Amino acid sequence: MAALLTRRSVLVGAVASATAVTLKPRMSVADQPTIHDVKIQNFKFVPDIIEVELGDVIKWTNEDLAPHTATAVEFGWDTEEITNGASAEVTVTEGMEASYFCAFHPNMTGSIKIS
Amino acid sequence: MKILVSAIAIASAVFASQASAQDVADLNDLEMAHIAYTADNIDIRYAHLALAISTNPDIHTFANTMISDHTAVNEAALGLLDKLGATAQDNFFSQALNEGAEETINTLSELRGADFDRAYAANELAYHQTVNGLVEGTMIPNIDNEEVRALFLQGLEIFKAHESHAEMMVEAVN
Repeated sequence: MAALLTRRSVLVGAVASATAVTLKPRMSVADQPTIHDVKIQNFKFVPDIIEVELGDVIKWTNEDLAPHTATAVEFGWDTEEITNGASAEVTVTEGMEASYFCAFHPNMTGSIKIS
Repeated sequence: MKILVSAIAIASAVFASQASAQDVADLNDLEMAHIAYTADNIDIRYAHLALAISTNPDIHTFANTMISDHTAVNEAALGLLDKLGATAQDNFFSQALNEGAEETINTLSELRGADFDRAYAANELAYHQTVNGLVEGTMIPNIDNEEVRALFLQGLEIFKAHESHAEMMVEAVN
């Protein structure tokens, strides 16, 4: 647990410089990616498991008062802070980490299944 | 270990010695709102103390989360009170909480290094356990205004997450 927490701590300091997340690419209307909505409600990712394909976009929307993040367990990608009512998106890329958590509230976890 | 026990005792003593649950249950919504606001601010103060004294990055992460979450709850509470055209009312229990917090801060301020980290984590766990019990068992069932009750329920969800996080912290620093 100590090691896990330490990694999370490292993340918080590194959030500002995180570059691993691929932002939404420019696409034509016909090529619009599929967007998968994940709500953050009552300190849970809903749904906590999503099935996606490469190029899809995952959109997290925070409905809690407390700020949250969606952050890969090994910090390969990160939404940065999502405040109440705000959303953040991450594009699914090949080899991206499947397990994620909230860097502020480590009991909150979710996972991505890439088909 | 003596330090850890004393920290828990300090947090619990506030509630045990100053008032009964029935005393709190008899307060009105605006007095309960003041208690919640006070409890939030106290934990923010503990967090700032932790940021000032501790060098443990995990403690810093936890403390920063406490600051951002309790600040968010308090901003929502102030927004609701403004909407309702009301003002939170100071009361004996808010005052007791602040007195207890002063003692806790004085105790924690004397500690350094791992001793501080253990005492801070233990106090956070005890504080959230005690406050959560009071909010869930005594305050929420006796709140009249539905919007105020809804905000307390949201706050409780956050504070329960903090309690779980604090349990992890206690394990990590011991």
